[in-house]
Amino acid sequence: MPNAEDQSERKFIERLARRDERAFNELVELYEARVFRLLLRMLGRRDEAEDMAQEVFVQIFKAITTFRGDSKLSTWIYRVSVNLCKNRMKYLARRHTEGEDELEPVAERATLDEAKGVTFGDVAQPDRLLEGYQLERAVQLCIAELEPDFREVLILRDLEDLSYEELSEITGLPEGTVKSRLHRARGMLKLSVERKMGEKIS
Amino acid sequence: MTDPRQKELRGDTEPEESFRSLLRGALHEDTPAPDVLAGVQKKIRERSGGKFYADGWSTAKHPPLNTYLITSLLMLAVLGVSYALLSPLVGDPEPVRNQPAPVQIIPR
Repeated sequence: MPNAEDQSERKFIERLARRDERAFNELVELYEARVFRLLLRMLGRRDEAEDMAQEVFVQIFKAITTFRGDSKLSTWIYRVSVNLCKNRMKYLARRHTEGEDELEPVAERATLDEAKGVTFGDVAQPDRLLEGYQLERAVQLCIAELEPDFREVLILRDLEDLSYEELSEITGLPEGTVKSRLHRARGMLKLSVERKMGEKIS
Repeated sequence: MTDPRQKELRGDTEPEESFRSLLRGALHEDTPAPDVLAGVQKKIRERSGGKFYADGWSTAKHPPLNTYLITSLLMLAVLGVSYALLSPLVGDPEPVRNQPAPVQIIPR
């Protein structure tokens, strides 16, 4: 028997399917922050993420009648977001704009030698702030270099805190494949950051 | 009992919290989200040829109060002008004649 939350979501989806503009406004207000954050993490550029967030909601408005309720509405929205985002990433890759990521500026970048010895635990210490910036910068670059399929699972699991079941629904992959892909993504990221920093990450 | 290495290879193990916090910090965790509703409404209005979000402001997240106020004042002004045009504002009203109409007696 469906619980109250499921019934409430079903009614909300029915309103959306009837093209109720006020219901759709509620949907956008409810999910815009989550969708934007996911897209920013995936794309690395604020302007692209904002534009893409609008596009995601337009697509949801168009396709809401095809939503059969097999998964949670939030999972479906994530799926639409990820699919559009991956298409956009392919387009951007073709245009060679990946190197223009909007990243935090580092005022005075120290040499890699000075950054040696920085570990994840050191970031919170004020006297290691510069090294912390360098480490964050390295992580940004390395995530941007990850292939979209690996970036996708890493962000959805380690940053969005989604379950493996949800990841499976979003990616359309079996849970076992999702887990092994995630394991590889973490490994590749660590290795890549270590190479950039010249230090093994603890 | 499951071998920890086997679990790691399957991806069952979770990374340390410091790893996650670094990822969050590096990926602009504190970036404020923009308000995308207006842009979404505009795109839907344009692509649907005005079928949805037709008026553009009545369904806005924050309806512009000035628009309501100006519209109300404009309507009051239109009513006032109409009243002024349709009713005489100066001069006395035409006196009503209450004299009976003349009766013509037709002889037999």
